[in-house]
Amino acid sequence: MQAGFERRHFLRAGSVTLALPSLESFATPTESTTPTERATPTESTEDRPRNFVAIGTYLGWYQNAFYPDQAGHDYEMPATLSPLKDYRNDFTVFSGLDHRAGNGHGAWSNFLCGQSPKTHSLDQMMADSIGAKSRFASMQLVAGASESNTKGGNAISFTRQGIALPMVQRPSVFYKQLFMSKADRARTEYMLRSGRSSLDVVLEDAMRLQKTLNGRDRSKLEEYFESLRAVETRMGRQLETINDPVPEPDYKLPSYDPITPNLQIEAEETMYDLMTLALETESTRVISFFLHGLGQVFTFDGKPVGSGYHGLSHHGNNPAMIRDLVKVETAHIHCLARFLKQLNEKKNAKGKSLLDDTIVLLGTGMGDASRHSNANLPTLVAGGGFKHQGHVAVDRSKKDAPLLGDLYITLMQHLGMEVDSFSNASRNMNEVLS
Amino acid sequence: MTCPSTRWHQFPARVAIALLIGSMCVGNLLADDPTTILNTYCMDCHDANSQEGGVNLDITSINWNRREDRAVWERVYRANQEQLMPPPGESQPTVEQRKSLAAWLDAKLLKHTPIGGTLPRRLNQAEYEATIQDLLHLPDYKLPPGFPKDTEYHGFDNVGEGLFLSPPHFEAYARLARDIADEIFPPAKSAPGTKTWNAGPDDMVLSFSAAAVHGDALRLASRSVDIMRSCTWPSRIEISDSGTYQITVDASKFLSEKGRPFEEAMIFEVYARAVTATERSTIDDFRLLKEIKVTSEESQRTSFQADLYEGETVLFRWKNAEMTHDPPRVGEAFEKLSREDPRFLGAWLKVIYPSGDPKKPIRIPVLRGRNGWEKVSKHMEAADLDLTHATADSALAKSFFKLAAAKGKTTIADCLCYFYHTDGPALEIHNLTIEGPSKLVKSPVDLKRQERQLKITGTRDEGQSQEEFARSMLAGFLPRAFRRPVSEETIESYLTIATQHWNAGHTYEEGMHLLFRNILVSPRFLYRSIDPGNKDDGRMDDYDLATRLSYFLTQTPPDETLIDLAQRGRLSATNPSKATPTKAQYWVLRREAERLMPTSHKDPMIQSFVGQWLDTESLHGIMPDPKFKFSETSIDMAKEETERFFTEILTKNLPIKDFIDPDFTYTSPKFAKDVYRLDPKDLPGSGSGIKRIKLQRGGRVGGLLGQSAIMMATANGVDTQPVLRGVWVLENILGTPPPEPPKDVPALTPDTRGTTTPREMLTAHTQDAACAACHKRIDPVGFALENFDPVGRWRKAWPKTNKTIDASAILTDGTKIQDVVDLKRWLVANIDPFSQCVAEKLMTYATGRVPNYAERKELADIVRANRESAGGFRDLVLALIESKTFRTK
Repeated sequence: MQAGFERRHFLRAGSVTLALPSLESFATPTESTTPTERATPTESTEDRPRNFVAIGTYLGWYQNAFYPDQAGHDYEMPATLSPLKDYRNDFTVFSGLDHRAGNGHGAWSNFLCGQSPKTHSLDQMMADSIGAKSRFASMQLVAGASESNTKGGNAISFTRQGIALPMVQRPSVFYKQLFMSKADRARTEYMLRSGRSSLDVVLEDAMRLQKTLNGRDRSKLEEYFESLRAVETRMGRQLETINDPVPEPDYKLPSYDPITPNLQIEAEETMYDLMTLALETESTRVISFFLHGLGQVFTFDGKPVGSGYHGLSHHGNNPAMIRDLVKVETAHIHCLARFLKQLNEKKNAKGKSLLDDTIVLLGTGMGDASRHSNANLPTLVAGGGFKHQGHVAVDRSKKDAPLLGDLYITLMQHLGMEVDSFSNASRNMNEVLS
Repeated sequence: MTCPSTRWHQFPARVAIALLIGSMCVGNLLADDPTTILNTYCMDCHDANSQEGGVNLDITSINWNRREDRAVWERVYRANQEQLMPPPGESQPTVEQRKSLAAWLDAKLLKHTPIGGTLPRRLNQAEYEATIQDLLHLPDYKLPPGFPKDTEYHGFDNVGEGLFLSPPHFEAYARLARDIADEIFPPAKSAPGTKTWNAGPDDMVLSFSAAAVHGDALRLASRSVDIMRSCTWPSRIEISDSGTYQITVDASKFLSEKGRPFEEAMIFEVYARAVTATERSTIDDFRLLKEIKVTSEESQRTSFQADLYEGETVLFRWKNAEMTHDPPRVGEAFEKLSREDPRFLGAWLKVIYPSGDPKKPIRIPVLRGRNGWEKVSKHMEAADLDLTHATADSALAKSFFKLAAAKGKTTIADCLCYFYHTDGPALEIHNLTIEGPSKLVKSPVDLKRQERQLKITGTRDEGQSQEEFARSMLAGFLPRAFRRPVSEETIESYLTIATQHWNAGHTYEEGMHLLFRNILVSPRFLYRSIDPGNKDDGRMDDYDLATRLSYFLTQTPPDETLIDLAQRGRLSATNPSKATPTKAQYWVLRREAERLMPTSHKDPMIQSFVGQWLDTESLHGIMPDPKFKFSETSIDMAKEETERFFTEILTKNLPIKDFIDPDFTYTSPKFAKDVYRLDPKDLPGSGSGIKRIKLQRGGRVGGLLGQSAIMMATANGVDTQPVLRGVWVLENILGTPPPEPPKDVPALTPDTRGTTTPREMLTAHTQDAACAACHKRIDPVGFALENFDPVGRWRKAWPKTNKTIDASAILTDGTKIQDVVDLKRWLVANIDPFSQCVAEKLMTYATGRVPNYAERKELADIVRANRESAGGFRDLVLALIESKTFRTK
């Protein structure tokens, strides 16, 4: 199944304590800006999970191979989910849920935004609530796109103001955000040292300037002095620790960034590896991961499939195209299974696995790409310490049928957020999943 | 920008004395003495002990020179003028008493309120961006998305009070400064080693049907300009060091007996493409490196040298392929191939028209890639293929050629690619090797940086020391960066940053890099209105005046002309002789203002000022309910209407009342018909492109009150609330924002069952005396706009209830109105409050402070003079620029 990308890079066993770079990248939009509020990483005494990962495919999931035929625990594993067979007690599949949102690719972002696409997304609500406790309030990643402008129409995460967050597409960039290389460290140190000493000149000049100002103007400029001093102090603290010995993460990045669309599956594997590292090192608690879908033709077992990914999604019930589409989607799930395995193997001091500590939501904003319908969105929740329920089949024709937003409320509450509504939903699914 | 509902609650408590309870001693005094009036009507609640609503009117201790004291008495002035106080139900002063109190306050406030007082203000995001673009020759500079947001104050994001500078700001500025310095003095790169990349057919991108792998070769078939339809490129090669590379490719002609002949040489193009370039690029976006003539069916090797830049890889195209994706050519190709081979045609007809009915083709999107072609080729090979219609002149064949030539049917051409992939002719690529760099070259980006550096620093004279060079550079650069002359002392102190760094052993570039990082975090750069270059009475000197004028009208720092005028002290020059009375008093300033005045709706001043004053910049955050079928394009159209409308009034100097009741608007005929319900016969066509559309004055369509953008901005995309629109009009059209609502009043819950109309729900307001004082001003205006739905579409009935909308109301002066037409007529007849409101908004935006009492008086004089001289809006703006309020810090 996974031929064509035989290079493998596993996280070596044994937990490495990683000293984190002290100067975070400014390019990451959701970096926590209030370092003082960050809790020092301690083992949670609570049972609640602490992390959230959302994964969404742009082209949806072929429902007949994603939904089991039977509801409940004893279902027969559907084709697309077959790589997850060893984890059947660690996830729940939901059918029949959606946000009652509009149709088409343009409304794809209903996945995490609910009924109104391009509004405050689930992951960003979580980041606003729990993100400040880690170095990066949230991270947004993408695989399968070499579009230079990934922040345009296609985005997965949106701020409270409805601004689409840019996504990182290069594993090397993601890695750099997490771990600084020696060269980066040297440059950072140089920047801090030269920056701090030269700031004195600016400070003196500012003081000369301030002397000439009247009362109100002078006190307005106090903002400047306070900020400058705060930053100077922070630079000092960073300099104190910058030369602490740092074990390099035992992870080898590929020599190139797999960003051409045909290397999407390879990019997914690498990104998942780095996500595990990010969660393990508590660099972030909230990650969203967008799996794009363009015209790329995938090659499996050395054979190119019959059409580009986007073309396959318009299968029109043609069996050959469905077969190829399911191949692509199964490859996505194969990567997910590897990710769950990694999370499951990482244990904290109390023996709790990173998987139990992380809610993984896999879904999409498109229910059936062949018809461009956004109803009935295939959804899967894994990990998070939930008592998983096999296949939960929701009859969406019923008047009081739960909405996908109701499930999201459950996920937020499970993370400890005091929330009782999401988009058009105001109930929860705590009775089903807890 | 905020939506009206949150804005309502953020509104500063100008007159937050809404709830006053308490007894009132029944007046036995009729004196018009202010002390007596205050004692009689105010002190029960606002004496030093009670201080209701935080307002203490203890008149024995007024310090008129204190800004805070004056603010309190300005509130009293307004409460008295608008009769908001004493609260209804309490005993009220007589008309004479109110007049007397007003006159006393007016005199005191005017005497003691100095014109001016803008706080030092940090460049806001837009100004910072434009300043960096201009100052450092970075025309495409944009702030990164994580940059802390500006805070809005009194509706604008450029007011001193709102522009805080916090540690995250400073840190962000420091990082931006570092990134910007990298663009001028890029950090040195370490010398790379040479490297060899190799890519076979399996290491290339297969995009749509552009390429297919057959054995040890990858075949190309189409010459389409859309790279994703025709090209391939290696997926694991990305150049990291710009340099000269040896590129070697093995290619051959692929022909077969079944396929068509191809006698001439195949022209094989090798381009350079950025790895991150979008798949939607066309071939012209890339740089051609080499054209290779492939003449043999045996693999032939070509090796050549070419420059590749950081982030690039190569891209391959077969230039003279027979097949293309250009729709008319596809139609022709099908016809040609069909004439040559009836089986080809028969098979396609079978696939496209399974029922044999030319009106019922299959859904074309189902035909995808190789899967699609396999369907066709299976029929081609079938012994029992029906060839009845397989002549190129049959009706069925003709409709097929037409279909294939239609736009948007690229998937048919994609299937056809496999016809060529399978049988040829196709261009085969066997292998690619890239080796190098044999030498480093400067990429276009490197060259740009070099050029930029030269523009900023100038060239070093022969024999000039590094330090002397830097000093002369600073003498030229700092005054531009700080927007005013800079003392020797300042130049010398900044110079030490570089010299000390050099003395510590760092390179020229490193010293300059550090110097620029620091200049860009200096308060003299980050703040405007900061330097005490002001004259004693607070009037700004020519440099500050140039800066204020320039940022006001163009959002950029002053240009050469303005700097030159400031240097010669000409900007504040006054008209010297009474002999030329036609000339304005500050004629140079006025002339420059005319020069810099925006001319297009896309100009930053229009976008920013209109966006903030009329809230149109909030539109993209509003998601109209899908039931309105109001697309993103409609939203853009609505926003542009208001911007173009404003621009025309400004540039053509139209009368101010045209804001309310104009004879034109800008929108598409389609929009005018669908949204404004205009009669199609009155419209210039029916297109969806934006046009200037003539309107009848005195109608319901046209003007700010009724434009879709404004009706949207004052609703929430789902339903309308008369109170929100009423408050919005009071604040932004009439300039008399109501005080904050009392805290204990719940928000209106819309009646989703639809049994009551908004009017029925709001009657409570006018019945409760505590609410009535404000709501008798708010609600009438709000109801007059109820005929506009949440996207500004005209409606006659309220949704759900289906009851006819009653838009009638009684305005505060007793005028009865039936609907928005009457409201507009009333506004036109009493245009001064609107003119005053626009003037105050413009001055808040221009000066970065909310006009104070004395300044509002000056504006009122200007507004009156403008009306009396039958001036237009442009005249008003120019007069405002000449005002003392504008010219004072």
